[in-house]
Amino acid sequence: MTKLASVYKTDYVQSLDQHSQTNLNSSWVNAKGAWMTNIILIFFLKVMFGIIPGITPELSWTLTTLTYNIGSYIMFHAVTGVPFEFTQGAYDGITLWEQIDGGVQFTATRKYLTTVPIVLFLLSTHYTHYAPFAFFVNLVATVINLIAKLPAMHQVRLFDINQKVEGSNE
Amino acid sequence: MDNPILAAVNQTLQASSRVIEAIPGSDIVINYIKNSYQNDPFRVVLELGLAVFAVKYMLSKKYRIDPSHIKLTEKEIDELVAEWQPEPLVQPLSDIQRMELEKTQVIAGHQGPRPKMLSSGKNLLNLASTNYLGYINNEDIKEKAIETLHNYGLGSCGPPGFYGTLDVHINLEKDIARFLGTEKAIIYSQNFSTISSVIAAFLKRGDIIVADDGCNFAIQKGTQISRSNIKWFKHNDMADLERVLESIKKESSTSKKRPLTRRFIVTEGLFQNFGDIAPLDKIMELKEKYKYRVILDECNSFGILGKNGRGLTEVFNISPKRVDMIIGSMATALSGTGGFCAGSKEVVEHQRLSGQAFVFSASMPAMLAVCASEAIKILETPEKGNKLLKDMVDNAATFRNVVVSAPQAIEVSSDVGSPILHLRFPKNALSAAGITTRDEEKYLLQEIVDEVAVKDGLLITRAKYVENQELFLPRPSIRISISATHARKDVEKAAQAVKASFVKAISKRK
Repeated sequence: MTKLASVYKTDYVQSLDQHSQTNLNSSWVNAKGAWMTNIILIFFLKVMFGIIPGITPELSWTLTTLTYNIGSYIMFHAVTGVPFEFTQGAYDGITLWEQIDGGVQFTATRKYLTTVPIVLFLLSTHYTHYAPFAFFVNLVATVINLIAKLPAMHQVRLFDINQKVEGSNE
Repeated sequence: MDNPILAAVNQTLQASSRVIEAIPGSDIVINYIKNSYQNDPFRVVLELGLAVFAVKYMLSKKYRIDPSHIKLTEKEIDELVAEWQPEPLVQPLSDIQRMELEKTQVIAGHQGPRPKMLSSGKNLLNLASTNYLGYINNEDIKEKAIETLHNYGLGSCGPPGFYGTLDVHINLEKDIARFLGTEKAIIYSQNFSTISSVIAAFLKRGDIIVADDGCNFAIQKGTQISRSNIKWFKHNDMADLERVLESIKKESSTSKKRPLTRRFIVTEGLFQNFGDIAPLDKIMELKEKYKYRVILDECNSFGILGKNGRGLTEVFNISPKRVDMIIGSMATALSGTGGFCAGSKEVVEHQRLSGQAFVFSASMPAMLAVCASEAIKILETPEKGNKLLKDMVDNAATFRNVVVSAPQAIEVSSDVGSPILHLRFPKNALSAAGITTRDEEKYLLQEIVDEVAVKDGLLITRAKYVENQELFLPRPSIRISISATHARKDVEKAAQAVKASFVKAISKRK
């Protein structure tokens, strides 16, 4: 039966394997160039949405916030593992967010990546003149993104999504 | 009663508002908040809450979520440092370690069927080296080796992927693939690390290995570093293998979402620790039935078993293309060095980047690659190759027939036709002689080894293991390696001497 929240357990040997080499899948998020790219991407999204005719500025802000939150959620919290094989599957069930800095919480990268959706949300509610529906949509997207980044949710899997399959991984 | 409290609250509010107004730019912020209020206190509270959360998050200290991370106080660290005593670089030897150190024979000069010992200066008959086809002293191979040494020099200057591959390596790979009958082969420069690299190149966490529990140490280490789930089945027991395969099938069919896992059966052709042969036909049958892949470690059967020396696949008349990976060794029968993995093109090419020992070790010297190639060519010419194999099998049969005639003193765990013979004391004889521990058994076997070295001029050895790391530690034994170039008379005499020594050793204790 699927539990609401269960922990994705990794054992000692798996954490040893994780720390034996630098995780190239997650080490790039620490680079300041990646931080800048993040901001540029949001800017680019806003410009792109603004160019499409028939979309009001308020709607484009809402769409930007929505796209950014959904996109960064998929990238950081939905996809697990690494795209290349180098430590016999040490990162197999771990999302990119959980891989950052080897699981240490409140590092600079994590603080930055948590702050960006909050700032984006505050900006977009300002520019949509606090319309209730836009506010609600932005809030839900941002809050889901933020809850996934909480330290309490580290390696927690809800409703058995991305959880280890019993029987093959003992 | 309310008045003083109300007055106090009023005063603090006025004081704080005066402070806030004093901050430059505060009126912009206050105006903004007033404009954004828009009759919706809930939303404002939410936004402020979010801003407060952001600030709190930014100000938090970092910590690691590691259940095993122990934080020590300064005082504890100081205490631990003060009471630390350095261990000696060289631990004092235990009795058995000192015995092993003293009794190990050292060969002075070159290897061969009759090497000269450093301690006594005598030439002993070599029944300890894995020189099964006698290639170590083959004159043709020696000439070729010297010629190669003049052409290529000694070392190969690097790993195979980085300037270390020579044409002789490519030729050796082609020779092995052609001789064995597979599509391609890849060579590694050390035999022990071949099987570990192959297993680790194709398996990772979540995959399933079903391995024979008589497998040698290299296979055990390979399965360990691959981090996959290993299930062991009893040595050469096909019913047990079927039981394990069936149980895995049952387990995985009950889980709702089963990811595609790789499943392998790992076994040896001729077991290094026991000398018996795996029933490959039954294994192939089970493999087809349960859809597994097979890794066959033929380190002690390539160049040894089969009419032409092609290994276990020739013995059972199974096409080598059906076995997914055949691992073999050039260090045993072929008098070279290293090992190989033969299989389909995809299997071999994948290892060029994923075989750890291929990528991160130097390739073998050109001389030894040429020796192995020449050895294969000799095996391929029927007159010479078949004769060597026949001599080896006849010598092995001679030796075996003599030692099995004393079942009260010797237990032979090897099959007929195997050049590796493991001679152990039968358990009831040991208990009758009052020997209970492994160390005592090892001492007794060492007595036999010493005695035949002195009295009968034989060089034999006990089988040695890394005892605290072996998963299924085999019983102590004397391992005899029969060579094709020994004379039949010598082998017969040696067998009689070993048998007599065994009988004497076990009956002396009674």
